[in-house]
Amino acid sequence: MQQALNGDTQAYATLLSETTRLLRPFLARRLYAGNEVDDVLQEVLISIHKARHTYDGTRPYKPWAYAIAKFRLQDHLRSHYADQLRDAQDIAELENFLPEDVTESGFNYESISTEVEKLPEKQATILRLMHQEGYTAKEVAEKIGMNESAVKVAAHRAYKVLRRRLER
Amino acid sequence: MNNIEQLVATLSKDAATVKPAPHPYGLGLKWLGLALAYLAISLAVFGMRPDLARALQNPWFVAELAALFGMLVTTALSAALLAFPDLYQKRRLAMAPAGMFVQFVLLMAFSWHADVPPAPLPAHSFECSLSILLFSLLPAVAIFQILRRYAGTHPQLSGIVAVLFAFTTGAFWLRLHESNDSIIHVIEWHYLPMLAVILVGYWSGKKMLKW
Repeated sequence: MQQALNGDTQAYATLLSETTRLLRPFLARRLYAGNEVDDVLQEVLISIHKARHTYDGTRPYKPWAYAIAKFRLQDHLRSHYADQLRDAQDIAELENFLPEDVTESGFNYESISTEVEKLPEKQATILRLMHQEGYTAKEVAEKIGMNESAVKVAAHRAYKVLRRRLER
Repeated sequence: MNNIEQLVATLSKDAATVKPAPHPYGLGLKWLGLALAYLAISLAVFGMRPDLARALQNPWFVAELAALFGMLVTTALSAALLAFPDLYQKRRLAMAPAGMFVQFVLLMAFSWHADVPPAPLPAHSFECSLSILLFSLLPAVAIFQILRRYAGTHPQLSGIVAVLFAFTTGAFWLRLHESNDSIIHVIEWHYLPMLAVILVGYWSGKKMLKW
């Protein structure tokens, strides 16, 4: 790290690779999906890069790197559970206006896909990606070049429109 | 080449020479020095309490000033340690303000108990809290600005410690400026608002010290 702070790109690349090797098992033990591990690992590496001025080489490197990894992991888990809660609320809202037997017979995206396709193109694409192809809001945002909050807002509006239409 | 390897390659290309952050002890001492300078300038402008020599004969007043100074030192040091992701691997020292705060609360409880017969209450009340808050504003803004340049991993705690540091500076100033011996007034209007300030610190840390 000392060499990296002095601008040695080769030393820095080695350090980041070693850090990746060090942190991957730590994250893998705490996350379920493999792609989540990679996502968080990337965020951790970017954070290490941003915070490298706070490491002066006079104390052990590992606790410093783990502190950043733990911080980013908590951030990720917090937003992940917030997303899950929001999605659960949206689905609960949707179930409120669907006939009871539709829920019981296994409601799925296909059963309302005709209504979804009547939505504005962007909203329809978002719902299709989220509910038919199983992407998270974050992944959809990356895929269609919007930010995550905008995707969530668009999805929420789409749910409201769907609710109104299906209630009729 | 997978995403991680690509990222490592991109980040390592950007590995220009970086000036390491100063040692947290140095940083804490610098903040303490600035707070004391601010205190000295303000006392020079607004004036010292005229009965300071007499007040210093009271051991409870001296103990209160010592405790306030202790709070100032520990919060400055702790805020500096909390600016580093790993607390500079000095976790106990970073938590020192908690112990100092408990000692301060106990001291104020004993002072209250020893205030027999109670000193007369001054005519004013909330003006003291307001003065402390206004006085603390500048150090609070300054310390938050500085903390944002670092990479703390405990933003809420950093926020609390930073506002406690600023508020203690203000409380110190008012004790040296205002002629007032009523410990009940001091507890109620000088130090109880600290609890509200802790909540503000928690919230501001969460909002402003995320990176």
